[in-house]
Amino acid sequence: MAVIEVKNVNITYRVLMNKSGSLKELFRDAIKGRARIIDYVALKDVSFTVDKGEVVAILGRNGAGKSTLLKVLAGVLPPTKGTSKVEGMIAPMIELGAGFHPEMTGAENVLFYSALMGRNLKTVKERTPAIGEWAGVSDHMGFPLRTFSSGMVARLAFSTATDEQAEVLLVDEVLSVGDAEFQTKSKARMEQLINSGAAVVLVSHDMNAVRSLADRAVWLENGHVKMIGNASDVVDAYEAN
Amino acid sequence: MKYLPLIRLLVNRELTLRYKRSVIGIGWTLLNPVLTSAVLWYVFSFVFASRLPNGQQFGPYLMAGILLNTFFGQGLMQSADSIASNGGVLTKIYVPPQIFAISSALAGLTNFFIGMLPLAVVCFISGQPLAWSLPLVFVVGILLALLVAGLGLSLSILFIRFDDSRNIVNVMLLILMYLTPIFYPVSVMNSTMQSIIHWNPIASYLEVFRWAFSNNATPTLFNWVYMSIWSILALLLGTYNFKKYWPRTVALL
Repeated sequence: MAVIEVKNVNITYRVLMNKSGSLKELFRDAIKGRARIIDYVALKDVSFTVDKGEVVAILGRNGAGKSTLLKVLAGVLPPTKGTSKVEGMIAPMIELGAGFHPEMTGAENVLFYSALMGRNLKTVKERTPAIGEWAGVSDHMGFPLRTFSSGMVARLAFSTATDEQAEVLLVDEVLSVGDAEFQTKSKARMEQLINSGAAVVLVSHDMNAVRSLADRAVWLENGHVKMIGNASDVVDAYEAN
Repeated sequence: MKYLPLIRLLVNRELTLRYKRSVIGIGWTLLNPVLTSAVLWYVFSFVFASRLPNGQQFGPYLMAGILLNTFFGQGLMQSADSIASNGGVLTKIYVPPQIFAISSALAGLTNFFIGMLPLAVVCFISGQPLAWSLPLVFVVGILLALLVAGLGLSLSILFIRFDDSRNIVNVMLLILMYLTPIFYPVSVMNSTMQSIIHWNPIASYLEVFRWAFSNNATPTLFNWVYMSIWSILALLLGTYNFKKYWPRTVALL
């Protein structure tokens, strides 16, 4: 059963040449007949599926469309053409801590971040001390986030994001945050989440991680699928390229 | 409503964060309209207080105007800005973006209701009893929140796409403010200005609000109908515009 089904997804950005970010410039350009619209294709006819329990890696150079694809899967970027269907609760592990606010306390931020991810807030409230403890910031949970060091913020974000098992996991780079000790701890937790039966889409430049974690891989080049198949085959072809 | 808990958190955050670093915190919500009113009262009461119709009091008149105009102006800018300023979240985690605009409008509404406490005190000092129609202020508040959310949704798209639209809207809000009888009675204007003010929707909300709160105005059926139409149209147009343009706009965040 495919949990993620991406069919012929196209993403086209309409870009105004001689980019006018203001109404004034747009008006001026329109009068002079200089406003030209070009279509920038970020994704072109991308199709693949991910089954329950399967780990699919997305490979490709910078600008190949990997992050755009993750945004489509997360549901934040509607495809220009085609469809993207994802069933179940999504945990987007993309730039953790989006939505954290420096003036709110650690505990408040945990609650808010969890609410954004659509979690049950009653459970989260009970879990908050454990989340803080796992991140190693128990003593600071009642203080505003601006008093945290950046490492502490990253640890709290990671601890919150990975606290609940979701059906779908979208991972942008296997995240390792904090000091050496925490990196080992977070890497272990990440691998445990990935291997615990969720459908996982993994974007990574670390080919060793892809080989060891992924079942299949999709190689993106300039927005289209260059190769799709068994993870080690695709990685071999990608590295030979 | 899966997102109700999130809306509650957002409203709460907006209410508490603004004054988080100040000593009296949310007390500013009470104090702000009082201080603004005091200044304007000092400046304008000599000129305008005597020009109000019989039985109306300048203190409550002025403060009701400031309260409602703050709700509209500040609420609208915050609602329109909310989606751009939460772009970091909206490009990573799926939540209906409209939630942010609605939460800002609701935070403005809460401030509006809180501000009615000092307004009641001012009425008391002026010797004006609260009106039996007081519960109707909820209707005015909710209609105005719909207007703010609706316009905010439309503007939020514009704000993301064009940097200078924010400044243009600011100037327009300033003009609109002067076309709203906040500190002057409509009767001091000439007939051309009076008919312009007549068609200013905010003037209708304000007229009904003053009447409902302490019987300090005489709204007509036109005011009721006109403000209802504006609220409903703004909301419909806002949700429609947002749905239509959001897919292309989110790419710019």
